[in-house]
Amino acid sequence: MKEYIAKSQAETEKIAKELVQKLRGGEVLALVGNLGAGKTVFVKGLAKALGIEDNITSPTFVLMKIYQSQHKKIKRLVHVDCYRLEKTEDLTEIGLADYLNDPENIVVIEWADRVVNLPKDAININIDYIEGQTRRVRVS
Amino acid sequence: MKILAIETSCDETALAVLGEQRGFLYLEKNLVYSQVNIHKKYGGVVPEVASRKHLETIMPLLDHALGKNKLKNIDYLAFTQGPGLVTSLVLGVAIAKALSLASNKPLVPINHLEGHIYSNWLTHKELQKNSKKYFPSVIAVVSGGHTELILMTGHGQYQLLGRTLDDAVGEAFDKVAKLLNLGYPGGPIVSRLATMGDAHKYDFPRPMINSHNFDFSLSGLKTAILYFMEKKQKINQQDVADICAGFQLAVTEVLVKKTFLAAKKYKAKAIMLAGGVSANTFLKQNLKNAADKLGLPFFAPDLKFTGDNAAMIGAAAYYQIKNKQAKFYLGEKAHKLEPLANWPLVEK
Repeated sequence: MKEYIAKSQAETEKIAKELVQKLRGGEVLALVGNLGAGKTVFVKGLAKALGIEDNITSPTFVLMKIYQSQHKKIKRLVHVDCYRLEKTEDLTEIGLADYLNDPENIVVIEWADRVVNLPKDAININIDYIEGQTRRVRVS
Repeated sequence: MKILAIETSCDETALAVLGEQRGFLYLEKNLVYSQVNIHKKYGGVVPEVASRKHLETIMPLLDHALGKNKLKNIDYLAFTQGPGLVTSLVLGVAIAKALSLASNKPLVPINHLEGHIYSNWLTHKELQKNSKKYFPSVIAVVSGGHTELILMTGHGQYQLLGRTLDDAVGEAFDKVAKLLNLGYPGGPIVSRLATMGDAHKYDFPRPMINSHNFDFSLSGLKTAILYFMEKKQKINQQDVADICAGFQLAVTEVLVKKTFLAAKKYKAKAIMLAGGVSANTFLKQNLKNAADKLGLPFFAPDLKFTGDNAAMIGAAAYYQIKNKQAKFYLGEKAHKLEPLANWPLVEK
């Protein structure tokens, strides 16, 4: 496990960029943190590092948004938000089956603690509010 | 001309039969089955439940909407192709395709946001009669999933002036309600409590209010309320009302200022509001005041057309057809249509 302290949104984004360098494609990133912890900020960092020009907006309402990337191996960032879901939700029931296990995709799931069947090899990212702009980010 | 319209982009299963007589729209049927009470139990939408409910309700609704004449008097089939929840959209799209294949009537795919915009035409006879007088219009489309400022230069012609960079307005209301433990759906609860609070007691940020563009950012406002609550720790009922009022004022001020500036910059002939959050009377009143200041007419949809409904989809289709902008799909072409969950109103 790796632990970081981010003192600003920019630093949270930087941690995301560092993570992208280690990705090979096909990974699932499971993001956990309360409202206002900075989960979407983290995803914005991922998107920038993947060369996505689109602005990342909250997918809370539609559950899932898909962005095309400029990265040489990873072609798509699939941004999922389980905020509106019941705790027992299955990933396939929100229409995600088509996007999992594809080496050209990175699937990042906000509120991943509301999903029951996360892949075993998912990368867990926990963001905790410390105070003001400061956050603890744990990657495992 | 008679249109059957189908809308299933989120939690509402909706069907409408819309007709036109001497240039005016009328609704023969307008049926909305809302799942909000079902989802309330869970504190949010459950996609699988939503999808199954659409499936259960759409056939009885269809029978009710069409009666014994079935599709005999219908000329066109309009349906919401996107944006929305893919698991919900798929039901409406499938029904529309099946009806078209069985009856050989053309399909007209409609963008859900365009539907919301045309809820104003549905409401105001003056717009139906004198559309041209009100172009260009600056339209604020605000809902649970959208916050967009649009310049409408003519029927079916839109420019995106600005949009939210993170959370939508309706979503911000829902999440603030969640932070304050107020229940679901948050929008109506927050705005009701706000009437009992002092909007100036606590000063919340107005994100991007001076950004010199028409974009919005609401995620930081939500975080500011989180910080405030952490700091204050003990929060009584009056505090909750004051927070709701302060939050609603902050959101409204940003929305109103940007809409006002856009209307001035683009020499708009009218200001309009659309989308689920247009049910918020405080926002509506403040936008109207801004329009008055510019000497512009202000339009907002009738309460029954603020939420998701199929009548607005029918109205959008009607104007597309009337202005020869509609794309018709039949047979093999219709069969190939799929939901477009992320379909933007204005293509880049």
